[in-house]
This record gives sequence, C-alpha cells and structure tokens, in this order.
Amino acid sequence: MSDRETVIRVDHVTMEFRRAERTAGSIKELLLKGQGKRELFRALDDVSFQVEQGQVVGIVGTNGSGKSTLLKIIAGALSPTRGRVEVDRSKVQLLTLGTGFDPELTGRENLFLNGALIGRSRQFLNRRYRQIVSFAELDGFMEERVRNYSSGMVSRLGFAIATAGEAPEILILDEVLSVGDMFFRKKSEARIREMIHSGSTVLIVSHSPGVIRENCTRALWLDRGKLLAQGDPKTVCAAYEKSR
Amino acid sequence: MNRQEQREQYWFVVQQLTARELKRKYARSALGVLWSVLNPLLSMAVLSLIFSQMFRRSIENYPIYYLTGYLLWQAFTGTTNAAMTTLSDNRSLLLKVKFPMELFILTRGCTALINLGYSFAAYGVMLVVFRIPVSWPVVFLPVIVGCLFLFALGISYALAAAYVFYGDVQHLYSVLLTLWMYCSAIFYPADQLSGPIRQVVEINPLYLFIRCLRGAVMEARPPSWQDLLLMLLWGGGTYLAGWGIFRWFRVKLLQRL
Repeated sequence: MSDRETVIRVDHVTMEFRRAERTAGSIKELLLKGQGKRELFRALDDVSFQVEQGQVVGIVGTNGSGKSTLLKIIAGALSPTRGRVEVDRSKVQLLTLGTGFDPELTGRENLFLNGALIGRSRQFLNRRYRQIVSFAELDGFMEERVRNYSSGMVSRLGFAIATAGEAPEILILDEVLSVGDMFFRKKSEARIREMIHSGSTVLIVSHSPGVIRENCTRALWLDRGKLLAQGDPKTVCAAYEKSR
Repeated sequence: MNRQEQREQYWFVVQQLTARELKRKYARSALGVLWSVLNPLLSMAVLSLIFSQMFRRSIENYPIYYLTGYLLWQAFTGTTNAAMTTLSDNRSLLLKVKFPMELFILTRGCTALINLGYSFAAYGVMLVVFRIPVSWPVVFLPVIVGCLFLFALGISYALAAAYVFYGDVQHLYSVLLTLWMYCSAIFYPADQLSGPIRQVVEINPLYLFIRCLRGAVMEARPPSWQDLLLMLLWGGGTYLAGWGIFRWFRVKLLQRL
C-alpha cells in the first residue's frame, strides 16, 4: 500500500461560510446590520487525509456533515478558507447525477449538454453516442423530453454519460450508486469496479453505509465538519451506524 | 488537455448552453423562434401608430428610425437582464463544473445576439418595404453590434456579481433601465432636446451605438472615425472593467453561492 503514489492530499482543510439567511441578500440588511457581523458557519473543521492511487475511499456522514463541501473543494469548485488540497485537477472527474439536465430538452439534447458540462468533447460524444444510449437502456426514448422521463431513466442517462469512455484517473461519485432499480444498480457497480481495475482512484460519497461497505477499500466518517474516524470500511460504518 | 483543446471545449459548452437557452425560451410557445421576428415588428407597429404623426416633420421613416434603436436596445437589455441572474439560476451547476463562470454570462450574451440576428431578418424586410436604399456603410453593422456586445457583457459581469450579494440590484436596475431608455432617443428625435438632458443623451454610449447604426443604414453615412474610436473604447473599456470587477469578487462569489 505505502509504495503507491498519493494522488489526493487534503491538508488541514477548514471551510467557513458566512451564514446567509437568503440566497440573495438585501441592501436593507446591509444598512441595518453592517457588514461582517453575520455568523460564521464551519462546514469543514481541520480535515486531513490522503488517498493513494487505486484506492476506493468511501465518505459517510449525515446530510449537512460537509461531504459535498469536501468534494467541491477537492474538485476545485471551492477554495478552502484554510489549509490546502493537493490534487491534479485535470484528472478529477466529479460525477453527480443530472448535472445540468434540463427537463424541457430531449434526451439527446441533454446528452450533449450534460456531456459538454462535464468536459467531454463533441467528437467524443458523437463517437460514443450509441454506447451511452444502450448502457442507459434508453433506446427509443432519446427524442423524448426529459420532463417525461422517470427519475430512474434520468439517473441512468447521467451515469452512462459520466462513465463513458476511458476511466478518469480520479473519479468522484456523489450519491450516485444508490439510484436506479436493482438491475441497473448491479450494472453500475460492475462498471465502477471495471474502472477501479483499470487503475482509477475512486471517492464515493454516500449517506448509506451499505454502499460504502460493499464497494470501498477504506472509509472516512464525517460528522458536522469533523473527521471522526477513518480506516477499514466495516469498522467505520459500524461506528457510524451505532451513532445514529 | 492543451490550451487549444480547452478553448474548443469552452466553445462547445457555450454552444450547448446557448442552444438550451434558445430552446427553453420558446419551448412552450406555438410560434417559437418566430417571436424574435414578430416582437420587434409588433412593437414598431404600436409605436408608429402613436408617434408617427407627432414626429412626422422631424423624422423621416419613423418606423425604421424606431426599429433601429429598439433592436439595439433590446439586445442590450436582453443580455444584461438575463446575465444578471445567471449565476443564481445555475447555482447547482456552477459548483460542479470545471470551467470558468464567465462562460455562463457569455452564454446569455450569445443568446441575445442570436435573437438579434433573427430580428435583423425582420429589419431587412422592413428596409425593403420602406424602400430604403442600403449601400456600403452597412458593413459597419457588425462593428457596431460587436462593440455593443462587449459593452453589454461588461455591464453584465458587474451586474451578475452584484446580484449574488444583493438581490435588490434587480429592482434598481429595472428603474435605471427605464431612465436609460428615455435617455437613448429610441422613439423621439434627439435634436429636439436641449439643455442638460441633451448632453446626457449625447454622452450616453447606447445612443452612440444607435446613432451610428441609424447613420449607416438610413443615411448611408459611415460612422466618423471619432465615433468609431469612441465605440471601441466604450465597448472594450466597459468589458475590461466589468470583467475586472467579476474576477476581483470571484472567490467571494463562489462562497456566497
């Protein structure tokens, strides 16, 4: 294990947000309260860990434990307030379901829109079009508006687009494996294992410990921004389940 | 990914997002994209009905005079209004994708530009209907529109950043736009004004764009080099200023989203 290369190094990362009551503040608020008086909310509190190449690391935690914030920082969408993250961002592929799916567009249009957003080129999508559609089991539905899709169909399409082609070197899955019906879940887990075998490093985020236990070689437990435990998935998941 | 590939990818993203905007805009209407053509024509008909008599002596071809100004004005407000809310509209996307936020604002500009293109089709027909001889100065049209595009994008960057912090900006801006519209001489002759308001109109960059386009199309008069330079300065300067503001607040923006 130790002779493997470290691909993600999270070093004392703290992330603070100004707690904002509304999405867009108002000038009235500014005039009445003045700036900088708002409460600080700590989404991540001094989190450190490392991920080595080829590891499959699961992150468990309840909603609001800071999992998504951590992923966004690793993927480079947010910069931490303190601490640093070392990772080659060009290798990271963050997979969340339905990123930019538009219900008014057809399946085909969404495939290209979504593919573009996650960084696939037009040529790539053209070349892989058939393959993506058949993996998603959506033959004959691609000219249909996504509005009329079932939620399972949407997540299948999202998964198929994101995992098409060569495996990215670092794959981050945000609540992706617990969707779809039983059969698709088997298929998607098989696809993830395939990617792992080809050398991808995988980060899986889930609030369901079952997913983590079945797929991961290591687990981290985040609770209210703090890293409470890390290590063997069985031990960590058991501790997590006990706490609830 | 090298730079070239990255640029291609960004361009692909802008195309896809623009296509989405356009499809969405007309997804629920029967006439669809035809509205881009109909809207300026109907608005022209209404305004002509009311003001043609009033300004008969001072403006020749009032409908075209109005339409020229209105199209540019629409492109400007279309871009800035849509771009202002774009970061909030796409919040969930922004934090997940790996390309600069500026692309979303550029997308709203491109959408307005394509709409302007459709509207220009209607404009062309109207020029024929009103028998306005179009000659070579019309080649300045893309230059004028290009400068206006940069100008609108610059304002859009600043507005989009401001809107994330203060939602009030939207209401303030709509009031400001009303004022701005009346100061742009879209439906009345500018030379009937006098005093300080005349000066305001004269230095108003939007009036500059409109005046140059009217000159090039309606009077076959190319813009003077001073006007050209001024347009370039307004376009480029505003773009850089807006982009600078946006860059400056980038990290704070992301946290607020």
